[in-house]
Amino acid sequence: MKKSKRVYTSTLGLRLWEFTGTAFVNLSICMLLMVYLSPLSYMLVTSLESHFQLQDTKAPLWPVKVVTYTYQGIPYNVYNVPTENGIKQWALVKPSRTASDFIDPANPNEGLIHWQGAWRTLDKVYLPNPTLDNFIELWKTVKYIPILGNTLFVVFVSGIGVLCASIAVAYGISRFPIPGGNLLLLLMIGTIMIPDSILIVPSFFIFTRILNWNGSYLPLILPPFFGSGVYIFLLRQKFKSIPRDLDEAAMLDGAGPLRILISIILPQSIPVVTTVALLHFFNMWNELRVSSLYLGIRPDLQTIAFTGQSASGFGSTSEMTQASTVLLLLVPTIILLLSQRFFMQDMIIAGTEK
Amino acid sequence: MEWTYNLLATPDLTYRSRTDLMNFHRFLAPPKPKRVGSKSLLTRRSAVIGLIFASPWILGFILLKVIPILAALGFSLTDFRMLEPEQTQFIGLKNYLDILHDSAAGASLFGSIRNFLFIVPLQMVSALSLAVVISSARLRNQLVLRTLFFLPSIIPAIAIYAITIGLTDPFSGWLNRLILDPLKLPSSSLREVFPFILALWSIGPTFIIMLSAIQSIPTEIIEAARVDGAGPIIRLFAIVLPMISPAIFFSLVINMTNAFGGVVLLDRGLPFNRSLSPMEGYITATVFSGGKLGYASALAWVMLVVIMTLVVVLFRSARYWVYFPKEGDNEEI
Repeated sequence: MKKSKRVYTSTLGLRLWEFTGTAFVNLSICMLLMVYLSPLSYMLVTSLESHFQLQDTKAPLWPVKVVTYTYQGIPYNVYNVPTENGIKQWALVKPSRTASDFIDPANPNEGLIHWQGAWRTLDKVYLPNPTLDNFIELWKTVKYIPILGNTLFVVFVSGIGVLCASIAVAYGISRFPIPGGNLLLLLMIGTIMIPDSILIVPSFFIFTRILNWNGSYLPLILPPFFGSGVYIFLLRQKFKSIPRDLDEAAMLDGAGPLRILISIILPQSIPVVTTVALLHFFNMWNELRVSSLYLGIRPDLQTIAFTGQSASGFGSTSEMTQASTVLLLLVPTIILLLSQRFFMQDMIIAGTEK
Repeated sequence: MEWTYNLLATPDLTYRSRTDLMNFHRFLAPPKPKRVGSKSLLTRRSAVIGLIFASPWILGFILLKVIPILAALGFSLTDFRMLEPEQTQFIGLKNYLDILHDSAAGASLFGSIRNFLFIVPLQMVSALSLAVVISSARLRNQLVLRTLFFLPSIIPAIAIYAITIGLTDPFSGWLNRLILDPLKLPSSSLREVFPFILALWSIGPTFIIMLSAIQSIPTEIIEAARVDGAGPIIRLFAIVLPMISPAIFFSLVINMTNAFGGVVLLDRGLPFNRSLSPMEGYITATVFSGGKLGYASALAWVMLVVIMTLVVVLFRSARYWVYFPKEGDNEEI
């Protein structure tokens, strides 16, 4: 009896210890996440603020407005005033350095109250007041609908190209005995690491001077149609892990190579294909290097990242800038949150096969 | 009947070592029928099909990589200018000799290497420790946490720049108001904070790669080590890190390339003039403000050689610290 009781208490202690550990780990991760994402919350909060707040250093961090009281047709700011009867919220009518006149909004009929002290040391009364004015003004000044249309056009056309090409190439190098196939793979991994700046000089000259593609989408859309090294690598790793028995069975039934790719390989690689499509979406949404080189002369073709960079899309004031930033990353964020079950799941990097 | 004949036909079977005996089914198997010609024809046919499938990339490799790089090499030997391409003259290695006297080029190259040495370890350590913590079985909602820690990595660099401008604002920025002013520290500047935030907000892909590598370690191995008395720290250094070393290697390649201005997995759309790699900014400034394409090509070639040297060193070192269990490449394709 005694023994079993001791066992009971020790499991209770163990459970308590486990619970404390779990709570500690969860709490510290949440704290870390809050710190990690705090610039994002700064952006969100600032985009909801009105302009006066950024000059008012005493204002709280969240979006607020100053409480005012209209006395004889003129609005006055309300302050927290310390008096003998505790802190009173009075509106400042006649500020002066040593003594000021206030009016009590609760009973204005009493007239002006004389108060001894420096009014600059007093704190204003704030009320939480998130406002969408910044977004409304941005929507009026920047033409978001055509810009969004441009961006989606670029994303989808190049996306179809990069997906078809990368899938075909990955299928080719993972399933067929190409002479020098390993060399091809090595070259592919090698090209991933080539810096942009060496390609930019000749391709800028060729695209603008010889092909005359300045001010067109072609430099942005055409290269993806040749496939992309990283995507091919990711797809190839997945295709390699699919057993070949199924292809061979299908081949005996008379299926051609394209048929095997579409009916057997692709249905088993949906997470990887989705990942590649999403990565391409994020890349093209953020793409600024190529578009800033070739689309600068055609404002009507500009994509959303380009607009975010230019002065008109940037907003004239700090809170407008933050509002335009919110609009810039709204769509990728929503897509990432919706696709989190697929995104970068089931990826196989060499040696870490499940 | 045939296989019995095979068995009898190998009289030295009894003298073979034990390990070879374990493979004795090979001796029992009937000899493969050899049809001359047809097999090679079949392989040739499938090689052609494979080449057709792979042709987009091969074509793109030649058109978009080989030709521009060779063209850059050609440009670098001339005094090629953007606006007067007709007056181009061959000047040999003069551009490369000029680089040796150009102190701005040297400073930007060393700036790039300094940033690389600072940013890449920071990213690797933070991504790895985050992956180890998130893979802990005690955590709830691992999927959501994974996504939220990944979220900043898809934000366009221009948005991060805008956020950092606001965050480091001397009057309204949170950084000064919340941390630096209460601690009586000097106020921060945009130039110091932006690389930090950009580096820490780019760890998403490497973090996810390492996380999924950790999660794919067979639990039997970890349990066996636990039973043998290995504590969490020993398990981390003796089992988890060696097991995920291929993922660490891949992440290192990604981070290294990104630090030098390449694009792997996620393009942040960082404009060249705000690049973390000053060398890249210097090259594009040479192109677009001076229009000196020849000199810029020479600079780009120097950068390419530096990066490729680092890459080769990295890949050579891989055999000493990366654990490759049965590479799939060695199997028949």
